[in-house]
Amino acid sequence: MKLRTDHVAGAAFVALGAVVLATSGDLPFGSLAAPGAGMMPITIAALMIVFAAFIAASASASPPMASVDWSDRNHAGLVVLITGLAAAAYRPLGFLLTMSLLVFSLLVIVERRRPLVAAAYAIGLTLFAYWLFGKALRSPLERGLLWF
Amino acid sequence: METFQSLLLGFEVALQPGVLWYAFLGCLVGTLVGVLPGIGPLAGISILLPLTYGLDATKAIVMLAGIYYGSQYGGSTTSILMRIPGEASSVMTCIDGNAMAKKGRAGAALCLAAVGSFLAGTLGVLLLTVVAPPLAVFALRFGPPEYTALLVLGLIFLAYMSTTSLVRTLLMAAFGLLLGTVGIDVMTGHFRYSFDINELGDGLGIVPVAVGLFGLGEILATPSHQAPRDVLKPRLAELWPNRREWRAAGWPIARGSLLGFLIGIIPGSAHIISSFISYALEKRLSKRPEEFGKGAVAGVAGPESANNGASTGAFVPMLALGIPTGPVPAVLMAALLIHGIPPGPTLVSDHPNVFWGFVASMYVGNLMLLALNLPLVGLFVNLLRIPYAYLYPLIVMFCVIGVYEVNNSIVDVWIMLIMGVVGYALKKFSFDPAPLVLGLVISPIFEMSLRQALIMSDGAWRIFLQRPVSLTLLLLSAGLLALSAFGYFARRRDWRARLAAEAGEEA
Repeated sequence: MKLRTDHVAGAAFVALGAVVLATSGDLPFGSLAAPGAGMMPITIAALMIVFAAFIAASASASPPMASVDWSDRNHAGLVVLITGLAAAAYRPLGFLLTMSLLVFSLLVIVERRRPLVAAAYAIGLTLFAYWLFGKALRSPLERGLLWF
Repeated sequence: METFQSLLLGFEVALQPGVLWYAFLGCLVGTLVGVLPGIGPLAGISILLPLTYGLDATKAIVMLAGIYYGSQYGGSTTSILMRIPGEASSVMTCIDGNAMAKKGRAGAALCLAAVGSFLAGTLGVLLLTVVAPPLAVFALRFGPPEYTALLVLGLIFLAYMSTTSLVRTLLMAAFGLLLGTVGIDVMTGHFRYSFDINELGDGLGIVPVAVGLFGLGEILATPSHQAPRDVLKPRLAELWPNRREWRAAGWPIARGSLLGFLIGIIPGSAHIISSFISYALEKRLSKRPEEFGKGAVAGVAGPESANNGASTGAFVPMLALGIPTGPVPAVLMAALLIHGIPPGPTLVSDHPNVFWGFVASMYVGNLMLLALNLPLVGLFVNLLRIPYAYLYPLIVMFCVIGVYEVNNSIVDVWIMLIMGVVGYALKKFSFDPAPLVLGLVISPIFEMSLRQALIMSDGAWRIFLQRPVSLTLLLLSAGLLALSAFGYFARRRDWRARLAAEAGEEA
């Protein structure tokens, strides 16, 4: 049997539903007259498993798994990694440093742009965003290492 | 007469300089959001939501709504000039709009799209003015069973109208409903799936989920070398369509406007579906259907009017019933709630300034958009020349700031990242994430009304069948499910699949 996209997607959602059911043990289901906190999530998780199983069972019309284009995976992976690092650094480093580094890294590491151009663009863009959010709109931005 | 007086009150609010300024800002940003591929109205509104925290409710909703309907105008620019839909609802405009541009009629196509959008938007607001207040009065009679039945109908209708299969849409909606149960159960105080993370006690916010799925997810799936750059630049002198083009556009604009508004009221990605249906309708009614795909004026005027009519129609259930018909109205509802104003039947009576000011601002906003879109088309075209490699880091930065600023929570940024990866994976496996967001938003309302209805009836399901409104709504849901099941078991591809396939082939 050829592995198809709906086999994988269906199986993933069945597994997700099963995990939800497994972690719902401490939630009271209640009764129809007095529904508990677990009634809605357990019912929905069960429904999700049914829908997902149906999709997996009728997967023959979906494209083969091998035909899915993953050529953008490196780009996606790097963007997620850099944004994740920026999220982790946001509070300790603050807005100005983190956002400059985020834009700079995306341009240099993902887009292979020249570091000087990337640095100028990153700093300019971050200063503009700082003015827009921090000054014009008075949103509280993280200061981090810097004093302003 | 009372409606007219209320509308006058609305214009008093909408014409205040501060409100006018935010309407203009919303329209301008909305046009930009529509023009730039990779950032749709949902991501645009979600990212800019924190900017409205310092504003009063009227200015906030006026600006955010301006972004929504402005994006419908802007989406046509990239469709016509680049054959790239800046926004999903502009997919159909690509086909004949770009064909017109290649024939040297880019200016005329842009003008017809803008005029069609303006007329549809204005007609939509007129209908909204007439329909929403009485609907709100009627909805005051709704109790928990009626709301439960209405939400069930909304979900089934969404699945029925979806261009993907019924089961896929229901699966996505179920996933969204499930995500909506995360956090403290308001009726019993139980923590659900919060894994000792305090921030999850309040549940998953719509902003991080929507920005992740629609903003970051789109960026992850679009490497810069795949972003197209071939832009046709229209000459301003060619903006005015000739007499034959005006004649050919008249009825499609009228039909598209009405059709769009009616579809907009129904839950689902109405602005997208309405443009598909309008295109199919115009092709069917045309005396020269062979011209479609080769630059037919009706193929631009109809869908563009329909998507704008639908974006206005979507405000009817949001304002009158407090029920979002799609992810964008859901975020707008969240914006109102943040400002302490619950949308729904009591909005008209309790906050007439907000309701009528908002309605009146849409008349003004449509005029602004017409004035913005035609003379400034050259400027928007130049924006399209900014390399995507420089554009998306800006969007990523705005995503992070926008999400963080909602609650000053880094957990929200992590949720956005996770949802970005989920959005990327869903795209690879051909799932539409819109029902997921809708499910997430209606989950608390649905759960609350369902449980209240069951408690009211002492656990008797009959309560849904004993009340005429809920019975009617449930019968409609059952009818739609039966229709879908019949279509499936008859192994016939239904009209939506055919339409989607046709559109795919022609695009």
